[in-house]
Amino acid sequence: MSDPHSRQADRSWRSTDISSTLAVTGFQLRRMLSRQRLLLAGLGVIFPGAVMLAVRRTVPAGLDRDLAVTMIYALVPEAVCMLGLLVTMCPAVADELERGTWIHVSVRPGGRRALLVGTYLAAVIWTSTVAILAAALAVFVAGVRQPWPLIGMLMVLVALSSLGRGALFALPAVILPRRALVASVGVALVVEYLAGFIPAVVNQATVSLRLRSLLVSWMNWRRQLPVEMQLLIDPQPAWVQITAVFTLAAVLLVAAVKILEYRQFPPSTEI
Amino acid sequence: MLSLTHVTKVFGSVIGVNDVTVELGNGAHGLLGPNGAGKTTLLGLITGQLRPTMGQIRVFGERPFANPRVLRRIGFCPAADLLERRATPREWVRYLVRLSGFGPRAAADRADRELDRVGLGEAMDRPLSTLSKGMRQRAKLAGAMAHDPDLLVLDEPFDGLDPVARHDLVGLVRRWAVAADTAAGEPRTLIVASHLLHEVESLHAGLAVILGGRLVASGTAGEIRDMVETMPTEIRIRCDTPRRLAEAVCGTAGAESMRFEADDLLVVATRQPRALAERITRAAVEERLAIGEVVAADQSLEGIFGRLVRLHRGVAS
Repeated sequence: MSDPHSRQADRSWRSTDISSTLAVTGFQLRRMLSRQRLLLAGLGVIFPGAVMLAVRRTVPAGLDRDLAVTMIYALVPEAVCMLGLLVTMCPAVADELERGTWIHVSVRPGGRRALLVGTYLAAVIWTSTVAILAAALAVFVAGVRQPWPLIGMLMVLVALSSLGRGALFALPAVILPRRALVASVGVALVVEYLAGFIPAVVNQATVSLRLRSLLVSWMNWRRQLPVEMQLLIDPQPAWVQITAVFTLAAVLLVAAVKILEYRQFPPSTEI
Repeated sequence: MLSLTHVTKVFGSVIGVNDVTVELGNGAHGLLGPNGAGKTTLLGLITGQLRPTMGQIRVFGERPFANPRVLRRIGFCPAADLLERRATPREWVRYLVRLSGFGPRAAADRADRELDRVGLGEAMDRPLSTLSKGMRQRAKLAGAMAHDPDLLVLDEPFDGLDPVARHDLVGLVRRWAVAADTAAGEPRTLIVASHLLHEVESLHAGLAVILGGRLVASGTAGEIRDMVETMPTEIRIRCDTPRRLAEAVCGTAGAESMRFEADDLLVVATRQPRALAERITRAAVEERLAIGEVVAADQSLEGIFGRLVRLHRGVAS
């Protein structure tokens, strides 16, 4: 049993966890303001709009609203968010090892936890910002009727996609830091786009099922869907889907933090 | 303060640290050993980065691995260069201090104070990429000390520095150690790992010599010197006819072993170097030998360290 001083110390250090995490988030966001990352962000913002423009030019009569929404959904909450998180979340640990900063951070109390959660928050903020701008641009370029409610819905889907998939990519980032990018692409393909489309219990633990279900629900597409397509969505209400994404993100993030807290990197792993 | 009991750390088939038992109290301590001896692994164990495969480590009475209570009292300056390029020393040290649990304002104050102390006051707003290695080293040191740790661990802190920067940083660390010793309240502890003895010697630190992952000697510089004096000293004699000299010296008191290192070089190991030197002089006169040079083993700490290394490798007899 620990003594009262230790318990007091534990409490006081827990209270500083948020401060440490925010420090990491701020530091990582400043790192993300590099020329390369800003160029990538610009491409991420423009790309869906460019695709929508190209498609729109092939249909002089104007794009069908449902088709346009489906395309924007595939391009933004799916593709842009995935790519953004691959760039920002996957190297969470590998970057620190390469820069020789891992040891400085990991020797701080709660440094490992703050590093992972802070980087996760920075990745979610960076990716969501890029994706929301991309979604807004794509909606306007597509010339969709009533754009603002659509943009609002896409903002929520983008936020959920970033939160859920950021946490999903945290696992390869801590388990295989040197191969995190490859491992994350594998995880994305196997978990999100293979298991996510299997109409069984296994797809309940995927973000893609939740996002699809929300999209179908908010666009009132359920009745129009063929029966076989209805197997690929979850009929539960929106709050269940949102709670499921938050729960999944929390579980994955806690698992990644626990793994990182007990990870040992031999001295030769660093520069 | 810090104790290691039969600590072993294995990475796959590589032994990083092998059955090390040592107790370190407050004050300054030097951890010496050539590159690859296991110093960084040992420091990784002490600073809670690594968990021992066998044995037990206690720092401030607790296991350091993944233990925030211990980590908050440790300041660590690793050997690896800081490749964080865009951040300035001010941003970097503030960041580290905040990770140690301080709020933004306190972190800013401490970072500025520490950067001033290490002599980076005027360069604290320049990106790290534009600073010399010595300046980056100072920034690392400031980051390790800014949260006022009770245990400061420095891994090769002076490596790659020019003589002026090295002199400055040795002085800085020495002042920290002295201030730590005399500070009111709890005294603090400094551990400096280096492969250069003169750096550690200049800190007036107790010494622990590590080689091949094993602790081969520990104590003050004087104690280690005394221990080594019980080992045979090597005397190197450059001579035109070393075989004749060997015949003359052979059998004299104290000559324990001999070997020829070149056509004109005889190396004799002895525990009585003075008697051997007298015999060489006599032989030179009596046998009309041309002695070019007689060099006794280096009695500086550097020389002692070299002899410990050779002894451990089984070269010296």
